[in-house]
Formats: sequence, structure tokens, C-alpha cells
Amino acid sequence: MVWKTILFVLMSFVIIAGITFPIVPQPKVWYEFPIIPGLEEKAKIIFFHVPTAWLSVLAFLMAMIYGIKYLRNKNIDDDLKSSAALQIGMMFTILATITGSIWAKFTWGSFWHWDPRETSIFILLLIYGSLLALRSAVDNEDKRASLSAVYSIIAFLTVPFFIFIMPRIMVGLHPGSMELDPVTGKAVQGTSPVIDFKMNANMRIVFFISLFTFTILYFWMYQLRYKTLIIKDKISKKII
Amino acid sequence: MENGLIDFLEKNSIYIVMFIILVVWLGIFLFMLSTEKHLKAIEKELDVNSSKGKEN
Repeated sequence: MVWKTILFVLMSFVIIAGITFPIVPQPKVWYEFPIIPGLEEKAKIIFFHVPTAWLSVLAFLMAMIYGIKYLRNKNIDDDLKSSAALQIGMMFTILATITGSIWAKFTWGSFWHWDPRETSIFILLLIYGSLLALRSAVDNEDKRASLSAVYSIIAFLTVPFFIFIMPRIMVGLHPGSMELDPVTGKAVQGTSPVIDFKMNANMRIVFFISLFTFTILYFWMYQLRYKTLIIKDKISKKII
Repeated sequence: MENGLIDFLEKNSIYIVMFIILVVWLGIFLFMLSTEKHLKAIEKELDVNSSKGKEN
């Protein structure tokens, strides 16, 4: 119960701070955030969009861990836990795509650009979408569990590449990408908030509180989800 | 006093958005709490039933 209270209080704080704390050129008091060039007022998306992307990585990681556990013990509960993580991960990936897309409309001019970041999250959606399709296509429980465990391990190997590496080594619009130097025409390190953290200390604290709070929320959602799946499994076995 | 608050909110409408989102968050939070409560009750019932099944 304690951590739920913590979750409620922290999330309320993140909402209040994330939405209402003003962004000013020279922050003087603790509740003012600095202007990040290129983001301006829209920088507030950081507190809500980045955690959704982070949670999708975390969820896919947990799907892989429980996949490995299943392959070791052949305990069907581990497969259900992996499946629960997978579903929540998919939901947060879609949320990250939608929130990013809305932001892109007002920062870059249109909802979709095939920027490296957008392309990589699209491929991730395809990879994990096909895993969900695979799960629903196999009827045999053990076969489905082993296939899904192996797939989730292989699929997760691509996640660090698509989320952390590819968008950073390619020229793109998303904060954190490489940029083309206007003089030499070569790709150079971008002047972005993700790489060199142009947030001030207070903004960073709120950002990390936001990541932490969303992580707690994820674990709660995950717990509810896998309990539901396990109960569903128990009931269906009783009926048969 | 009340007029002052309403004036303030009319001038700074971002706070209205904040209150709305806080209410939505409260709703989601309470929904999750009640879902958890229901799930626990079902889990308990299933366990009782399965132990009864073993006795028989």
C-alpha cells in the first residue's frame, strides 16, 4: 500500500510540475525550467513521452527474461508473465509513437517523417506485433510458450540497436540524432538535450522522478495483467 | 476570494488543464485499485475452490 501512495503522490507531482512549471530564458527560482533550443515550451513532452519509450524497453526486457525463465523451467506461469510484459510493452510503444507523432507535427511540421527514430520504432512495432500474431496463431500451449520465448529473446536483441544506437548514429530530426554541419556538410554530433542534457538540475530531477514514477506504474500494471492471465489460465484448465 | 481564483484560472488556463489531468489520473488510480481488489477476491475464491477439489 505504501508504494501505491508514493506512486499517487509522485505522479501528481510530475503532472503538476510537468505541465505548469514555466519555461523561462534565465531560471531564477527552483520551479522554473530553462529554454532548450529547438524545443522551447514543447520541452514539457520530455516528462511524459520519454517515460513511455523507457517503459517499452523495460517491458520488452522483462518479456525476454521471463522467456528465458520459461525455457529453463517450462513453467507456464513464466510464459504468462512474459506475455503480460509483452502486451504492456506494445501498448507503451504505441503510446510513445503517438505522443512523439503529435509533438513532431508542431516541431517538424508533419505527423510522420520517416526520421530514423520514427522508422526504428515502426520496425519495433512490426517485430513485436508479429510476436503477438504468432502467439495468437498457435493453439498448443507448450509450443506457443517455447516459440514465443525464443522469439522474445531474438526480438529483444534488436531493441538496443533500434532505440539507442540507430537513431543516434544517423542524421535525423529527433533530439539525440546526428546533424549535418551546414559548413562542411558532414554528419556531426547533434546539439540536442538528450546527448548533452541542457536541462538544469531541477528539470533533471523532475525528469528522473517521472521515469521512476512511470516505472512503479508499469510494475503495478504488469502485476494486474499477469495475475489476470494466470487466473484466466487456471479457470480455462478447470473447465476443460 | 473566489473571484480572485477564477480570475487567476482564466488568465492562466494551463492550471485548468493541470486540474483536469489530475482528476483523470485520480480516476485511473482508483480504477486500478478496485481492479486489484477484485482480482485478489477472485484469486482467493479460486484457491478455496481448488483446495476443496483436492479434499474431495
